[in-house]
Amino acid sequence: MAEEKGRSAGKNHRKLLTRGYLYFFLLPSLAMIVFFFFIPAILTFLISLTDMSYTLEWHWVGLANYIKMIQDPWTPLIFRNTMFYVFTTLTFFNVGTALLISLLTVHIEERVGSAFRAIWLLPRITPSTVYALMWLWATRGDRDALLNWILMFFGVPPVEWRLKLPWLLVILVNGFVGASFGMIIFTAALKSIPIDFTRAALVDGANTLQLIRYVELPLIKWPLMFVTAYQTLSLLTSFEYILLVTDGGPGLYTTEVWALYSYHMAFQIYGGGSAQYGYGAALSAVLVAIGLVLSVIYWRVFKMGEMMVEPKIEVD
Amino acid sequence: MAMRRKGVSPTVTLVTAVIIALLVGVAIGYFIKPSAPTQPTTTQGGVKTVTITVWAIGPDPPSEYRYKNFLIAADKLNKILAAAGANVRVKVQGQFFVRPVEWEEYRKKFYLAFKAGEGPDIYLTGHEDIGYLASNGYIIPLDDYIKEYWDTTFYDVIPTLWDACKFQGKIWAVPQDTEVRPMYFRKDKLRELGWTEQQIEELPIKVKNGEFTLWDLLQVAKQAVDKGIVKRGIIHRVKEGYDYFQFYLAFGGKLWDPTKNKMVANKEAWHKTFDWFYQAVHKYHVISPNQFSGDWDKDFHGPATKGEALFISGGSWHKGEWVKKGLLTEQQFWQVMGFMLHPAGEKGGKPVTLSHPLVYTITTLAKKRGKADLAAALIALVTDPHLNANHAVQSSHLAILYSEISDSRYAKDKFLQDVAYMLDYTHFIPGHPKWALYSHDVYTVLRAVESGELNADQATTQLIQMLQKDLGDAIEIQP
Repeated sequence: MAEEKGRSAGKNHRKLLTRGYLYFFLLPSLAMIVFFFFIPAILTFLISLTDMSYTLEWHWVGLANYIKMIQDPWTPLIFRNTMFYVFTTLTFFNVGTALLISLLTVHIEERVGSAFRAIWLLPRITPSTVYALMWLWATRGDRDALLNWILMFFGVPPVEWRLKLPWLLVILVNGFVGASFGMIIFTAALKSIPIDFTRAALVDGANTLQLIRYVELPLIKWPLMFVTAYQTLSLLTSFEYILLVTDGGPGLYTTEVWALYSYHMAFQIYGGGSAQYGYGAALSAVLVAIGLVLSVIYWRVFKMGEMMVEPKIEVD
Repeated sequence: MAMRRKGVSPTVTLVTAVIIALLVGVAIGYFIKPSAPTQPTTTQGGVKTVTITVWAIGPDPPSEYRYKNFLIAADKLNKILAAAGANVRVKVQGQFFVRPVEWEEYRKKFYLAFKAGEGPDIYLTGHEDIGYLASNGYIIPLDDYIKEYWDTTFYDVIPTLWDACKFQGKIWAVPQDTEVRPMYFRKDKLRELGWTEQQIEELPIKVKNGEFTLWDLLQVAKQAVDKGIVKRGIIHRVKEGYDYFQFYLAFGGKLWDPTKNKMVANKEAWHKTFDWFYQAVHKYHVISPNQFSGDWDKDFHGPATKGEALFISGGSWHKGEWVKKGLLTEQQFWQVMGFMLHPAGEKGGKPVTLSHPLVYTITTLAKKRGKADLAAALIALVTDPHLNANHAVQSSHLAILYSEISDSRYAKDKFLQDVAYMLDYTHFIPGHPKWALYSHDVYTVLRAVESGELNADQATTQLIQMLQKDLGDAIEIQP
């Protein structure tokens, strides 16, 4: 009896120790999340309840900033812009182009595929201001700007890209950077598909398109879902390239997205004393809320819980 | 079947972690809150050195004497102190900001540094910031210092400039420089257009007399573009700023009502302004619809100095910038460039220009550090006709002191002499704490006008709505 008690106590002690180790190893990432997400999010929310400006003083104004946001005549336009920007960039580039490049490059010779993927990584590793400047120069309205110069050979007259097609420019600039993330994830996933599956499909007479449709795409379902969810949230909060390329213009908030509007309200008004940190924070807080809601929706719709389900066999 | 593990739920763990982190953060903040750094006062060999920090901005590099003059003044002061056997020396430490740091960034840096207790003792800024800085405790009133140094220095300051330094009856700053914003024109391109030398010489006079209007300007610009003499008829600054208000003023608009202490938006004048810009871009095709999203070098300095533009709505400092950067030699400038006021909107109206005096302020941090008196003494020394004349000549800014006008370098500077008359036609922007919102709303709407999204009617309605929303009682909307 005493021996059994001793065994049980030892087992409990081991369990406690294991849990202790688990928390110990989780601590760094937990600290990161707490310090770099939870605390800033809480602070943002608190600031959104103030009329804080350059003075950084906490004058509580309750929900005044949220009421102002609802009454702001630009809110509907900026919301629509944001949805359009996120959906289009995500669909055509961050997932679409990324998947296309991955599928193309894994089905051609390895060396060529790797080189092609490396080229697609260039925008990602170029400093954002340099990258944006290159786009600005390439898309100027002059006849000798790169894009117009190329089009000239096809008899197309010079185009004022930033003025006539600002959304196309914004989406291309962001998309060329964004595609590389999904490309890496999808390529890794495609390469990890056991060769037996491919061989079996080929033996069954599948052509390349059928191989992709019935073997590869179902097997990279999780990375596809992960990239979609992750990049949606990433695009929702991204604005640096839009700031650098159109600054929300060329017209009246033509390409202004939610995150950029928040930045403009908080920081970017020419002249002293007009920073609206409180209003900017309220706009950002809404963005955090939208991000959280979308995360839950993605989690449920994509059944991402299943991806992380515990093994069916319990090892203890 | 997998068994559910017992233990603390992740939600509880996370909430606990957040609370602990907040407590830790507050505790760390409480215990290790850095005290406001005091610029070192060092003692060496019995001589005490007091450091004064100065922040100034160009952002054009030739305006570096806004800062450098303090180094020269401190050196002069130290020589006097050494000769007198005093055991105190002054050291000036600080920063001069140039592009890519623009005004917004500079201001932001100041406000954040101030809050961290690291702001400068002397801060150069635009006069329109005084209202905000004074009402929020950033700067100290200087009336006593002005009196103290009146007879030796400040009596000589051109009186209208003091008006730009006042807020609620007190003087909060000392003028550093001022400028005018001429409309430059390419003489060589007018010659190509068939203008005689006499016609070219008479243009600034006609503008001054209200005989040549903004609409005439469009006509001439259109002729030059249509004949392929220039690519762009008119260019203006490519970023947000205050220059656009000159056009509103030229159409009879007012910015400030001193009796009510309110900013003013005159609907009719704004409508005329927007109509002029809309037609300039979309009917006459003399302003690029992309001018606002342009690049300073490619869309302003380049076209101006290479002769690709006919009219350039610029500032007096641009002459200094073009010559210093080597874009034009002094000789070339006089050969190809002429300058005039911004023409009146309509016949019989008044031509205009805008001045934006920069001013030195003393921060409340300097007072806390016990350095306000010394900072004031340094500002008095820097407000020197010779030092300021050097700055004016180097950067093409205008004199702030009467005696500066007769300084040998200033007097020899033909450009500064030639633009001096423009000060009679100048306007200042209001020193209201919410001025920046007015300016921002105008920029936002004007950009939409140039891009073709709004016509004059829509733009006026839009601007009035925005001003009412953003400024409320601070602005008076006139019909």
